[in-house]
Amino acid sequence: MILVIGAAASGKREYVRFLGYTDEQVTDAALSIPSGCAGGISTDGVTAPASDGVTALAPDGVTAFVRDDTRPVLVNLHELVFAAPAAAPDLLELLLTRELVTCDEVGSGVIPGEPRARAAREASGRLCNQLAQQAEKVVRLVAGIPIVIKG
Amino acid sequence: MRVLLTGGSACGKSTYAEQLVSALPQPRYYLATMRPYDAESLVKIARHQQMRRDKGFISVERDVDVAAVELKPGATVLLECLCNLTANELFDEQCAVDAAAYERILAALASLEERCDNLVVVTNDVGSGSPDAYNTSTRHYVETLGRLNAAVAARFDEVYELVCGIPLRLKG
Repeated sequence: MILVIGAAASGKREYVRFLGYTDEQVTDAALSIPSGCAGGISTDGVTAPASDGVTALAPDGVTAFVRDDTRPVLVNLHELVFAAPAAAPDLLELLLTRELVTCDEVGSGVIPGEPRARAAREASGRLCNQLAQQAEKVVRLVAGIPIVIKG
Repeated sequence: MRVLLTGGSACGKSTYAEQLVSALPQPRYYLATMRPYDAESLVKIARHQQMRRDKGFISVERDVDVAAVELKPGATVLLECLCNLTANELFDEQCAVDAAAYERILAALASLEERCDNLVVVTNDVGSGSPDAYNTSTRHYVETLGRLNAAVAARFDEVYELVCGIPLRLKG
């Protein structure tokens, strides 16, 4: 499994295309989460920030979604974690069966005031640490430039 | 040896710091700066205590004035973390900003450096968010910690950024 990380809009999706994956081979977590859920998308397609007032998805639903989807690439993993932080530990083994996973680095900046956002940030970071530990390769995108940090 | 470890939340800094320090000579001090102010912080403190159990650390809890910590000769010190220490030194109970905190923290770190053989400091990258999202007090915090990180990195031997648990060498 290749893990691709980087800030929002740092060129991860372009990198996936550069590697030869077609859109049909890609599951975009941002487009798979119902609007109104934590980290879900609004009607204009812009990712909404997680906050305490937003509905969370059931962890079982998120786990089942990842298990049942068979495409080789999953992008925007952080969206799933923000939708259901409690599901993060159960996603590890399922994600390791993919060929490639992308996730935003969400741990920078001041620690959020909302407990739910803090928990989601922590869960996303820990899941990426575990994925990176077992990944064959880890690539970090900075301003569109892929930097191999493992493998 | 002086080492600074930086990175975002939950990027593996603490795990790497404890691995690094565990290979350095005794006596090893774990200088914990988190203030136990609510249930969430207590859970975090308990998690860190569990992580370092049986690793031969002398635990010292000190949320301000780390210069006052007594060390045996030849000590190895892991300070976890500069971001909590900065918040504790910068704000009083009414969240008023103490402008002298920056110099006080730098002097305290210099005091530790003089009295130990090895010092590993864990910090956070908090400057990458939008300043518009923060109030004046938080902007003070971001600026103070950013300046401290730069000052400490300038005089330390090695600096690493942790990304997904992977240490990226920035200096040394």
